[in-house]
Amino acid sequence: MSIRFESLSKSFGPKTVLKNVSFEVSTGEILFILGKSGMGKSVTLKHIVGVMKPDEGRVFVDGDDVTQLDDNGLADVRRKCGMVFQHPALLDSLNVYQNVSFGLRTPQYTRSLPRPLTEEEIRTKVTETLRLVNLGTDIFDRYPPEISYGMQKRVSLARTLAPGPTYLLFDEPTTGLDPITTNAVNDLIFELSRKLKVTSVVVSHDMQCALKIADRVLVLDQAGILALQTVPEIKRSREPLIRDFLAETLALLPPEERAELEAHS
Amino acid sequence: MSSVKSSPSLQGASGLAGALLGPITHTLHEVGGLVLFLKLILKTALTTRGNTPAILEQVLSICSRSLATVVFAGTFVGAIIVLQFNAVLLVYDAQIFLGGLNTSAIVREIGPLMITFILAGKIGAFTAAELGTMRVTEQIDAVECLGTNPVQYLVLPRFIGIVISSLILLALGIMISMLGSTFVATFLCGMNPLQYMSTITRFVGVWTLFCGAAKSLVYGLIVGGVACQKGYTARGGARGVGTAVTQAALYMSLFVILANYITSNSLNWIHDFLGAALGWVDG
Ligand SMILES: Nc1ncnc2c1ncn2[C@@H]1O[C@H](COP(=O)(O)OP(=O)(O)O)[C@@H](O)[C@H]1O
Ligand SMILES: [Mg+2]
Repeated sequence: MSIRFESLSKSFGPKTVLKNVSFEVSTGEILFILGKSGMGKSVTLKHIVGVMKPDEGRVFVDGDDVTQLDDNGLADVRRKCGMVFQHPALLDSLNVYQNVSFGLRTPQYTRSLPRPLTEEEIRTKVTETLRLVNLGTDIFDRYPPEISYGMQKRVSLARTLAPGPTYLLFDEPTTGLDPITTNAVNDLIFELSRKLKVTSVVVSHDMQCALKIADRVLVLDQAGILALQTVPEIKRSREPLIRDFLAETLALLPPEERAELEAHS
Repeated sequence: MSSVKSSPSLQGASGLAGALLGPITHTLHEVGGLVLFLKLILKTALTTRGNTPAILEQVLSICSRSLATVVFAGTFVGAIIVLQFNAVLLVYDAQIFLGGLNTSAIVREIGPLMITFILAGKIGAFTAAELGTMRVTEQIDAVECLGTNPVQYLVLPRFIGIVISSLILLALGIMISMLGSTFVATFLCGMNPLQYMSTITRFVGVWTLFCGAAKSLVYGLIVGGVACQKGYTARGGARGVGTAVTQAALYMSLFVILANYITSNSLNWIHDFLGAALGWVDG
């Protein structure tokens, strides 16, 4: 029971973004998807929640073929799969509290409960999830344009976490964040997956963070999968593209790890 | 490329045909896109719960933002048309018809067009940019993933808001331009205001009012539809939003002019038909 891609292909006009892509995410793991920009990483994630439809192939979430589901089935998949978009994607017309509680009020979420949440319960949940991303109740009434980009990204993360998804799909969760927040978000992804047994798919171009928290790394290149390997295997890889990604992180690593990586190149 | 050697003049002709056909097929393609989007809006409107507060909020916001422009433009449009008609009518010693002709022109043609172009420039472009930004910053995807239909939640209130507002603003614009016209007729054309207004009811009856309202409705559907469609389907960052707004501006005006021709003809046809079948005559 997990996420599985089966020979998925997707083109936009003449441009083939994914061709015959198959892979499976195991339950509880953290899978990093790495690749240069424009290689179809975001497109891959969007297929899991069905906001994009493939030209060919199928995507399974817990055995359900996302490409064939009706609205109800799709709602179930989307409740299970929390997506954190590359942009903060908060609604400007709603304040932080309303944004974070947005997903707690929709039928997609409430129909899995015996009764809809009371305002009290929603408030508690919003407060708790904001605390997870190191934000307090003092920003409840602020509107997205009034808070910093880093805060917006964390509020966006909280909005996704609030309904308690079992799969988390992150699209460049740390791009544009300062190093301290980046670390905090990485730690959070790690904790969620270890403590709450959440399965995570993280799109990133941050190899350093992949090496630190990923179980496996999938490298997308030229519309296909260049590699799908565990972190130790990635470190030993001889693929030029992967070596390039690794080289970028070298300077940032502690000396003993750097020596280990350099030994393979 | 064909293997048959064609003469230069033939090549020129096919190039010309291409140059002419290109825009036509392109426009038809755009019409198709708009029709499909309107179908999606209609389907959503019929199958989901309406959001009356959101619609009212849109209507209020649109009307309040366009009010000043409608008042300003309405006054002057009425004034200009009065002066033009007056010059011609004086030649035929028919100044008495000024009020009727002028009001009829405003209600049937100029009012709806004026309101539409104001709505297109102000609200249409704004809506395309707003929805476009929501699309490229993934707000629309986010709303969908959290279990809300983005067409129902984001598009419908804006679309219906534009349609309702265009009717409200039309009524307002017409009243304002009637005032402006009466003012000019009195002070610049030397007419007695009562004399000016005496012929209005001879030219403007229920049918004319219906024509104005029908046109405004059609134009409102076009402005709302094109603006929402271009914004909703925008892609590719800030540049994509720019493209969406430019295209919205272009196709709103183009389609309104096309629709003007079609609705004018159809309305005339309906009027004749009603007259022949029911003996109904009304200005
Ligand atoms: N809705 C769309 N319409 C057309 N082209 C798209 C669309 N979404 C993505 N693309 C194209 O697909 C390619 C991959 O995009 P994306 O998955 O966003 O890349 P990244 O790996 O940087 O996340 C890009 O070239 C992009 O232009
Ligand atoms: Mg991306």
